[in-house]
Amino acid sequence: MANQSELLPRESLLWIFAAQFAALLPQFALLPLWIVCAWAFAVYWRLEVFRGRRDLPGRAVKLLVVALTVGGLALSYGRWFALEPMVALLAVSFTLKNLELVSRRDAFLSLLLAYFVAATLFVYEQTIPYALYGTICVVVITAALAAQLGHFSARPRRALGLSLRLLAQAVPLMLLLFIVMPRLGPLWAVPQNKSGASTGVSDSMTPGDFTRLSKSDKPVLRIAFDGPVPAPEQRYWRGLVYSDFDGRRWSQGFGVDPREGGVVRWSGREQSLPEVGPRYRYRVIQESTNNPWLFAMARPISDTRGVGETSDDRIIKRGPVYSRFAYEVRSWPRETLTDVRELDDFQHRRNLQLPRGGNPRTRAWADEFRASGLDAEEISARVLKFFNRSFTYTLKPPALGVDSIDEFLFGSQQGFCEHFAGSYVFTMRAAGVPARVVAGYQGGEWVDQEEYLLVREYDAHAWAEIWIAGRGWQRVDPTAAVSPERIRDGLQNAAAEEFMADSLLPLHRIGILNRLRLEWDMVNYRWYQAVVSFDSDKQQNLLKKLLGEVSPLRLAAFIAVPVALALIGILLWLWFSGRGRRLPPASRLYQKFCRRMARAGIARRPGEAPRDFARRVRVEKPALAPMVELITAAFEKAAYGEDPAAQKQLRRLLRQWSPGANFMFLKTVGAGRIATGE
Amino acid sequence: MQKLISAIVADIGKVLLGKEHQVKLALACLLSRGHLLIEDLPGMGKTTLAHALAQVLGLSYKRVQFTSDMLPADILGVSIFERDSGQFRFHEGPVFSQLLLADEINRSSPKTQSALLEAMEERQVSVDGETRQLPEPFFVIATQNPLHQSGTFSLPESQLDRFLMRISLGYPTREAERALFLGVDPRAQLQQLKPRIDVAALKKMQSLVGQVKASESLLDYLERLVLHTRQSPECAVGLSPRGALALLHAARAWALIHGRGHLLPEDLQAVLPSVAGHRLQGESGDGIQLVERLMRQVDIIAA
Repeated sequence: MANQSELLPRESLLWIFAAQFAALLPQFALLPLWIVCAWAFAVYWRLEVFRGRRDLPGRAVKLLVVALTVGGLALSYGRWFALEPMVALLAVSFTLKNLELVSRRDAFLSLLLAYFVAATLFVYEQTIPYALYGTICVVVITAALAAQLGHFSARPRRALGLSLRLLAQAVPLMLLLFIVMPRLGPLWAVPQNKSGASTGVSDSMTPGDFTRLSKSDKPVLRIAFDGPVPAPEQRYWRGLVYSDFDGRRWSQGFGVDPREGGVVRWSGREQSLPEVGPRYRYRVIQESTNNPWLFAMARPISDTRGVGETSDDRIIKRGPVYSRFAYEVRSWPRETLTDVRELDDFQHRRNLQLPRGGNPRTRAWADEFRASGLDAEEISARVLKFFNRSFTYTLKPPALGVDSIDEFLFGSQQGFCEHFAGSYVFTMRAAGVPARVVAGYQGGEWVDQEEYLLVREYDAHAWAEIWIAGRGWQRVDPTAAVSPERIRDGLQNAAAEEFMADSLLPLHRIGILNRLRLEWDMVNYRWYQAVVSFDSDKQQNLLKKLLGEVSPLRLAAFIAVPVALALIGILLWLWFSGRGRRLPPASRLYQKFCRRMARAGIARRPGEAPRDFARRVRVEKPALAPMVELITAAFEKAAYGEDPAAQKQLRRLLRQWSPGANFMFLKTVGAGRIATGE
Repeated sequence: MQKLISAIVADIGKVLLGKEHQVKLALACLLSRGHLLIEDLPGMGKTTLAHALAQVLGLSYKRVQFTSDMLPADILGVSIFERDSGQFRFHEGPVFSQLLLADEINRSSPKTQSALLEAMEERQVSVDGETRQLPEPFFVIATQNPLHQSGTFSLPESQLDRFLMRISLGYPTREAERALFLGVDPRAQLQQLKPRIDVAALKKMQSLVGQVKASESLLDYLERLVLHTRQSPECAVGLSPRGALALLHAARAWALIHGRGHLLPEDLQAVLPSVAGHRLQGESGDGIQLVERLMRQVDIIAA
């Protein structure tokens, strides 16, 4: 047992528990429930110890508890080397430390651990609300640390005030470290959660089945352009190409994914760059999708590390996008490119592939086109015309049977982009034109004076590409033939009635809410741009912009100069605040007079009154006496009689006189002019 | 006014030779409505000074010689049953006078001392449950023998604090003493002193004291002096706010005596030993030495 005087007082304990609660609160949602119970249990036990009803647990109990928690973790997670079990382990050991909370040293240990636990929050989320919460955590934990100093400092206002003051003082240091601290890569990689469901665009589409069109307004992409901006009808963000159709389901097909041997050029530099410069340069910030697909306009090249281009003009990431990911893209629109090669045999066959049987009406219809000897563009125009004539765009199409294409084209004639794109590609293939379905996003909404384009999940779209000899792949959007407003104005406007029809409140109709949502998205975007995505590249760039060239000397100066300035500021402040009030003018003048007298060899003693000093001057330096007496009289009237005229007179006297030039003055002014006071 | 004051000082100077400074201090003390404590050896002219002051200022004067067996009633007065009227009648004690000379106050017991000191502070006495006002003005000039003399009860600090000033007269100069030998008996002269002013004029003079101007610069100096007594390690006890106020009042009276409408640092310095000497306590040595160091160390112009 520790020395009695070291035992933690009540307010120390309460502060520690408050800090622990603050640090653990966001984890409670992520961790298994029994860890919350473990924390509550540990706190309860410790409080019982404080009340003297129980002893701190002995070795056997502690061992038992450790065994239980390890078992619990093993049961809850099943695997060890992943992020969540590690965080859970930290949280559990943190809570169990309460059972050993005896001395002040333990309190400090627990609170320092609390900082670490609070920081693990950012492993999951780095958005503004979490950052704010993290700040609050730090304030509370620091207050708890401050409260350990004794009863007086444990009062909430005082502890929090001290904490806020300390942290405010640390802000400049934080900013400095944020800018100059080298961004090291992780020392070890903890596998992240891969089980999260993928959202938005998936690796296949099945138009005939239950409609899976996302109505979520969650942001997916934020695209900021550097230079020209594509026209709205050009904004097709390609993510996936479906070449394989099994009669119901469109999918990528074997050998496209790099994991299956798909060819990916991982560095843009290796690629022969097109002669014409890129039309568009932009930066995409993509929310986590748990898939490796990235989204870009046709013919993209990306210099971002870990991003490669595929042969079907997409870009993909080496690993899945588990957290927000930003990449730079340059896009060459296809019509600007001249290096069109012939479609090779494999590609030719792949993009004409159709299932062996099924959909006879469509095949027959397509055979008519083939027989009529039309070229690809004419066939496409005919099909689109057909769509335009008798189809409706709806978000709630009926489910389709076995021959889904037949049923759609000649039966229901209602559907959305997947239906149109799928049946169009099927028809084209049947007519002998190589075609494929492309999935991704279309459109986007400008945020804050076109600072960036916000693409949401409901902007997901599917369209088609057909091969035209000599011109290469050309984008065709069958949906545009049916519902041009879907492409021009976006889903929300095109299907306004259906859109969110099942949502409880028609919130999307309230303009101000939409604007606020966009504003909030903008704030988030800036936050991500400025803070979260501040990696070593950005750091280098910023330092280069600030310093011109990053050298140790300049970096040292960059750190030392603000620190020196701050220290000088503090010094000046101390000096000025320590000097107290400024003296009244008369006293300052008299001080000046005293300094001159001191230089002339006769210094006033601190406690010597002006008149006594004048008397002493008369004895020791009679030559100076008349003038000194005049000055003394003027000073007494100015300083103690508060006579402004005397102050002016004193100023005049001092301006014209110095002990060295004594006689000159007496001649010019004459003593008689100056009243002697009494 | 100035002439009147110099005349008063000169009159007392005729009786108390060569003690002009002390006379002025005593006068300043009375003008600022304070009580005066004179500490000196017997035979130095304490009583003479008090008597001369009363005479010149035209005040009713009573003298009490304090002894160790004195009771409060001896000062305050007693109610006595009178057979003629069949009633108790209050016989006023010596405290009911305008100027009371409490001679050798430290020879009486603390109980008696405190009875007088209460009257000094409240300017009223309570006897038999009845509160009686003391005459206006009311001054006490107390004398005490140096503490090392036998048969003395030293006044506690709280009671010393009631006295605005403590002065000591000291031996006369050679010339003064020679004049004393040659001249007529001071006691005879004392009888010849005529009142220079009446009570109304004295009150007017007292009200003038409050009008003496104290400038910012001077108050700064006062502040520095007071602060120094509180912060200096030499002083065990600093100057209380009452002490600081007493210093300011006394300095104002001093400035008035010297015919000035505003205070000078010299005024503070002149009264400082008398006002602060008995209020300060040093780790070692007397309050007076402390005050002298204080005056030397605290700058008049700036901190």
